[in-house]
Amino acid sequence: MLTHDINLFPSRRDEKWKYSDLRSSLRHLSDGIEDENKPNFLLPDGLTLEEVDCEFSSVKNISSALAENYCNKAWKINVPESFKSDQSLIISNLNSGHSRIIININTGGCLSLVEYYESQSNSFINTNIIINIMDKGELDRVIFHDDTQETVRISSAIINSESNTKITQNAISFGSALSRIETLLTASGENLNATINGAYLLSENRHCDMTSNIELLKPNCHIRQLVKGVVKDKSNGVFQGKFHVHRPAQHTDAEMRHDALMLSDRSKIRSKPELEIYADDVACAHGNTIGQLDEDVLFYLRQRSIPRAEAEAMLTEAFVSDVFYSLKDDQLQENILTKIRGRL
Amino acid sequence: MLKINNLSANVDNGNKQIINNLSLAVPAGEVHAIMGPNGAGKSTLSYVLTGKPGYEVTSGDVLLSGESLLDFSPEERAAKGIFLSFQYPIEIPGVPTMTFLKTALNAQRRANGLDEMGAPEFLKKSRALATELKIKPEMLKRPLNVGFSGGEKKRMEIFQMMMLEPNFILMDETDSGLDVDALRLVAEGVNKLRDPKRGILIITHYQRLLDYIVPDKVHVLSAGRIAASGDAEFAKKLEVEGYDAYA
Ligand SMILES: Nc1ncnc2c1ncn2[C@@H]1O[C@H](COP(=O)(O)OP(=O)(O)OP(=O)(O)O)[C@@H](O)[C@H]1O
Ligand SMILES: [Mg+2]
Repeated sequence: MLTHDINLFPSRRDEKWKYSDLRSSLRHLSDGIEDENKPNFLLPDGLTLEEVDCEFSSVKNISSALAENYCNKAWKINVPESFKSDQSLIISNLNSGHSRIIININTGGCLSLVEYYESQSNSFINTNIIINIMDKGELDRVIFHDDTQETVRISSAIINSESNTKITQNAISFGSALSRIETLLTASGENLNATINGAYLLSENRHCDMTSNIELLKPNCHIRQLVKGVVKDKSNGVFQGKFHVHRPAQHTDAEMRHDALMLSDRSKIRSKPELEIYADDVACAHGNTIGQLDEDVLFYLRQRSIPRAEAEAMLTEAFVSDVFYSLKDDQLQENILTKIRGRL
Repeated sequence: MLKINNLSANVDNGNKQIINNLSLAVPAGEVHAIMGPNGAGKSTLSYVLTGKPGYEVTSGDVLLSGESLLDFSPEERAAKGIFLSFQYPIEIPGVPTMTFLKTALNAQRRANGLDEMGAPEFLKKSRALATELKIKPEMLKRPLNVGFSGGEKKRMEIFQMMMLEPNFILMDETDSGLDVDALRLVAEGVNKLRDPKRGILIITHYQRLLDYIVPDKVHVLSAGRIAASGDAEFAKKLEVEGYDAYA
């Protein structure tokens, strides 16, 4: 059992957390650490919410361990076979303490899921989501992270997919004192088609960590990952991405990209893209760039009367917005772009 | 209108002097042309006038309608009405041409204390000008200059110029890369902007453009200064004789 002992939280000495020192960020913040949270669920017609016991899961990470320690209940949603809806499952009030959410998408079921992380308080938040996608199931997940600066947040999604499934994930984060959005995906079936995209736009002292680990166990999976980051002031961006292609996972077609823009000298980007490949007939690639805005381009815009700050905002928006082209929901896409514009 | 007095400027952190005690005056209502060998400093002059970072003025002054420009930022100079048609227009992925142009126009208006132009008026004006310059509406939706041909990029510069209606126009080799029909369209556009209150300075290597836009004066820029000046006929002579006499 965990108790509220700060030394049990991972710190920069733990390989997986070396760029996001959770322990030190919790030194001055204890609100929420021992609380169980009740999220809000807005359910599409045809879905129901169940309260179940919070049991031990097979994934042992800090998010799961904390949820299992502090939550009596888990929130479970069962998406029936062949379920389709033009409404999204919207989860909000993930704003203090721990929550475990379990989503089962049955054969051929399609779920559109939107998670809002919008805390106004200085507290610790842990969202632990377990998603199982059965044959031919589809998940379209959007994470919208806009906390106040003091929040410390971890979000961990543990996703398992069976054969012929489709996953589209888009995360937008404006960071907080420390935040980590983690996606741990295991493709246990063939023929997964996944797009795992994200963007972080950070200012002041904010920190955002986008970490993902994708285990590919079977053949013919197609993965695209694009994460873009913009850091201003003294902010910190972290990208850690791993594709682990197991021996049977022949014909994997996987591409990982992380592109970041540093708008100040005092900001930091740390990135760790990793490919671990044991199958011999695969196409895997990764790319990672860190750059600045091009002065010649800025000059061109300024020569057309556009003030420097506005020119920077235009170019930054252009830089991040292609991440969200894969979003199917036009309204949500526009909301995200508007939010981005407001932050530039 | 535009007065350049004994201007010297360098690049490369002061290591390379390119403009050398250059003086030139373009009165309102006139069109002047600058010709000169490659590397003479023509584009550099256009960047110094518009305030490009990295170009350092070491002496002299540049006045637009009596006001020194040198202390102003590029955007402030642009808002005062100095417009550069770039020798090499920049590609800007992710920024649709129309969005860019509307932002530019309204930034210029705001800086001059005018209300922003509404969408209907903007659309009407841009459509009319695009038609005039034979720019396909489809091109205006694309990211600025991305994938445009050389000639299309130059036409886009003129389109922007006609939208922004600047007080002073600098054109840096706008004719290079244009086919004959495009050259005529561009020249017609420029001629339309000829106005007793506006000055125009055209940098070119070819007499051909000056057949369409007849300049009041032609200057040779060589080794960073004005080496000779003459009337429109002078350009024809230069085309035949070259610049050797002015090195
Ligand atoms: N940033 C720079 N650093 C070093 N040298 C430069 C820089 N910019 C320009 N120069 C040099 O200054 C000189 C003048 O260049 P500029 O582009 O003004 O010539 P130009 O007269 O426009 O030539 P062209 O007819 O070929 O367009 C050239 O020798 C060029 O190499
Ligand atoms: Mg030049």
